[in-house]
Amino acid sequence: MKRTVVLCTTVLLLIGSAIYAFGDIARPKVTPTATEGKTVLYTSMTVKPDAKASEARLQISQGTLQSIAREAANMSSDQSMTQRVMHSSARTIMAGLFMFLAVSFAGVWFARSSQRRNSKAVAAAILLATVFGLATVIVRANAGPPGYVRWQGLPQNLKDGKTTGGGVDIQIVPGDESTITLIVPLRKTQNPGEE
Amino acid sequence: MERAENISLTAWPGARSTDHARLSARLFAAILVASACLLAMLAGWLPLQVSIFTVFLFAGPHNWFELRYFLIRLPARFGRSRNFFAVAFAGIFTLTIAYLAMPALYYAKVWSGANWPDAIATWNTLLLLWLGALVIMRSKQSSRRDWFWTLPVVFTLCALNWLAPQLFSLAIVYVHPLVALWFLDRHLRRMRPEWLRAYHRCLILVPLLIAGMLWQLGRTSSLQDDNGLFWRITQHAGADILPSVSSHVLVSLHVFLEMLHYGVWIIALPLIGATGAVWNVSAIPLARRRGGFPRLIAAVLIFGLFVVALLWFGFSVNYPAMRDVYFAVAIAHVLAEAPFLLRMI
Repeated sequence: MKRTVVLCTTVLLLIGSAIYAFGDIARPKVTPTATEGKTVLYTSMTVKPDAKASEARLQISQGTLQSIAREAANMSSDQSMTQRVMHSSARTIMAGLFMFLAVSFAGVWFARSSQRRNSKAVAAAILLATVFGLATVIVRANAGPPGYVRWQGLPQNLKDGKTTGGGVDIQIVPGDESTITLIVPLRKTQNPGEE
Repeated sequence: MERAENISLTAWPGARSTDHARLSARLFAAILVASACLLAMLAGWLPLQVSIFTVFLFAGPHNWFELRYFLIRLPARFGRSRNFFAVAFAGIFTLTIAYLAMPALYYAKVWSGANWPDAIATWNTLLLLWLGALVIMRSKQSSRRDWFWTLPVVFTLCALNWLAPQLFSLAIVYVHPLVALWFLDRHLRRMRPEWLRAYHRCLILVPLLIAGMLWQLGRTSSLQDDNGLFWRITQHAGADILPSVSSHVLVSLHVFLEMLHYGVWIIALPLIGATGAVWNVSAIPLARRRGGFPRLIAAVLIFGLFVVALLWFGFSVNYPAMRDVYFAVAIAHVLAEAPFLLRMI
């Protein structure tokens, strides 16, 4: 009991000192960012030059439009769950702290239980964790290249009159702006010899 | 000849009692299956109406039965469990007050409701840490129990809670009714072990019925919650937290689980004798012991009946407001179940 009290006090002091230390750090300057929208659908898009067309056209299939409308109707909150988590630093810190405690105590439990008879259960847990870990690694390994790679050839393809295709997130942004904006992820590449 | 007579005399009662036990277990299982199917059908068919009817009729009485059950399970003298019960009662009291304070402060306009998810996450964390403390204290009462593994589980749940506090609170709403099934399991183990196997088989039906409800109602349109009461019911079932799920599914599922919960506390547990005769105050250790409080216990139970009647009256006068008040105050019985369940394990 005494040991537990000492341990808890130490942990609380550590957390308290961390908060105190952060109190001395200057608040970062808030840089104005572009209005962020909520992603409601991920689909693919093709940019196709047409020498005969007089106006730019945005073609969307009926099914895709219905999906966008359905997802937009379900937007009860301003932000998605991931965005809420990302934008709430206090909650993320707390979640991280408890995750750290969970892993730490799991380690202590593992060390204690490995000396006892339920080693089969521990072995099963390790096996399960390994399987999940390997599965994660395998899935990551098979993930394709980042999305911007497909758009790298867009300027050259436009010059050549060729079609370029890639993935696109459909975002709904707040406000009543009538202009539709297409943000293309183009990375600056330096040609050999250029400085 | 005499020996043959003895054999027949001793063999017959045993065979008859085994047959009787099998028959009663089958009857018990049949009643469970029929009841669960009927409840699932009713919940899926008229979710809002059944929710209103069920809460009106059974919410109060089930709390009274739980109160009586807790009094029966409370030891006459705490002995080695003194610290356990001290932490349990302190937790129930503090967490209930904190839970009631959040909406009270909001409606009194003392608190704007800003950082509501953070407040909920903090309350959930305190609840989980309290449960963790109870589990560890209980495990230390016997050298055979090593429940240290629950600590990483508790901390993982705390982490998940901070990532999605409102979803976590909603999970409590759905998980709590199932705790009654655990109570029933522990009592069957002690009082009707011959029914336990049949009960465990029947438990498989619960996820199957839930899966059936999800499959059948998943594509239905959301319920029309155009009046205050229906809106409250759909919100309580999590319609605003899970907007992409049909509120028909959510309300049906919640009502089904609530009816199971009420059924266990009002019918199943008294029927197997877990709560003793309803009017028998002497079955309660605090009343039975030398220098006990039989009159106080009787007064508490009678006052409980008065509160049940008051609840019915309140529902009759203003059902939506009373429903809000009830589900806020009812957190106390949700919390109280934890220490008593731990005492049964």
